[in-house]
Amino acid sequence: MSETAAVDATVSTPATQDAVVRIENLSKSFDGRMVLDNVGLTVDHRKILAIIGQSGGGKTTLLRCVNLLERPDNASMEVMGETVFAGDRLVCGDLAKLRRSVGMVFQRFNLFPHLTAVENVMLAQLRAGIAEKEALERAVQLLCRVGLAHRGVAYPEQLSGGEQQRVAIARALALRPSVLLFDEPTSSLDPESTGEVLRVMRELADDGMTMILVTHELPFARDVADTVVFVDGGRIVEQGTPAEVLGNPREPRTKAFLASSTASH
Amino acid sequence: MLGLALALLRVSKHRVMRWPAAIYTELFKNVPLLAIIFVTYFGLASVGLRLGVFEAGSLSLVVFYAAYLSEIFRSAISGVHAGQQEASEALGLGRVSTFTHVIFPQALRSALPGTNTMFVDLLKSTSLLVTISAAELMSQGRLITSATFRALEVYLVIAAIYFVLCYPLSQGLLWLERRIRAGVPLTPGRRRRLRAAKALLKGAVA
Ligand SMILES: Nc1ncnc2c1ncn2[C@@H]1O[C@H](COP(=O)(O)OP(=O)(O)O)[C@@H](O)[C@H]1O
Ligand SMILES: [Mg+2]
Repeated sequence: MSETAAVDATVSTPATQDAVVRIENLSKSFDGRMVLDNVGLTVDHRKILAIIGQSGGGKTTLLRCVNLLERPDNASMEVMGETVFAGDRLVCGDLAKLRRSVGMVFQRFNLFPHLTAVENVMLAQLRAGIAEKEALERAVQLLCRVGLAHRGVAYPEQLSGGEQQRVAIARALALRPSVLLFDEPTSSLDPESTGEVLRVMRELADDGMTMILVTHELPFARDVADTVVFVDGGRIVEQGTPAEVLGNPREPRTKAFLASSTASH
Repeated sequence: MLGLALALLRVSKHRVMRWPAAIYTELFKNVPLLAIIFVTYFGLASVGLRLGVFEAGSLSLVVFYAAYLSEIFRSAISGVHAGQQEASEALGLGRVSTFTHVIFPQALRSALPGTNTMFVDLLKSTSLLVTISAAELMSQGRLITSATFRALEVYLVIAAIYFVLCYPLSQGLLWLERRIRAGVPLTPGRRRRLRAAKALLKGAVA
């Protein structure tokens, strides 16, 4: 199959509106403790937003709010121009539809261990009513795309961490989402596997996939991101282009974070 | 089946559903099977509900083993990593699909060894029904022994019959367990899917 065909199939149809995800005034607390405090962010079509910050700052929670795995206490949220959350109310009529248009890749892969790689990529398609043959063809195409066609009938436990995460990316792409969420996709990987996964993600970026990416790979974020957001203590401390936030930060807390994370690398 | 239903109730989010199931389980888990058999056969009869030997026996075994099986299933279901539920929901699978396609197949794998033991135990427990039944295997033995006075031989034969019934069952379940662990697809549908996948993948690699 030709390279362009694979590429076209991955990228969703252009949205009529620019913002794929728009979040305003998002607050979330766990057991009375504020974890996200009045956070807002916007990701435009074909753009990449990188979220950086110390562990415990609320990055994962923020990401999980986007596909409503976590329910905000308060927020106004739009996905693909559709209001999904307003005030303290969920207004999304079809949660499954929202989640099918938002793909998610987890830090610990979370592949389904009882299914082979290709079945992992097929499951959501079959459940969404896509015919067996079509689902299989798409799954194979996506496995090719992440360079794992030769491992298609292996079970997750037979795959390396990097391979598992690439299958997870294929799985997240299966329903042609409008945006992909990555939660520290390389944090539990060795350097070699990290390289494999970042390569796949860079290709997605080059194809114009819209992404929100929580990462500690600052050089990667600098390369691919259009916007970098520094989150600390449940607030957005600083946001701007990679050159601004990573190259020339204004806020003392951002500077401190960058100093500590470059020192540790 | 009852065991699974009880397990589902017990992992439910709602206390109203968890409680009755928990009470049921604790009750029947901590009462000897023999007592349950006596209650269903003699006890119920005394209040006017006469059950046949077979009905009373089956009922006792079902309520008793359901309690144990529900424990096994419950721990198997809650043993499935929370990330599985999340990954499934993030893919837009609903609650029912998530359970049937993601949680249950994994729970089944970890529940199989315990279930295996329970089934064999259940089969062996039918020997307790001797207390209420004249037609059951053990009491047939008593009839024959009293007729022939060869107690040892007769009871050895009965033991052998139980063994012949239980051994294949437990071996069969062990075989199933091994197949599942080895990742062998068990349903024809899944076998077909994997065959098609292999063919297509081979073409893609070449
Ligand atoms: N389900 C939860 N229940 C209670 N507290 C939570 C839960 N999830 C996250 N938290 C808390 O929220 C804070 C932010 O966590 P998280 O979003 O995971 O941060 P990060 O991803 O930036 O490390 C942490 O203090 C964490 O302990
Ligand atoms: Mg996190």
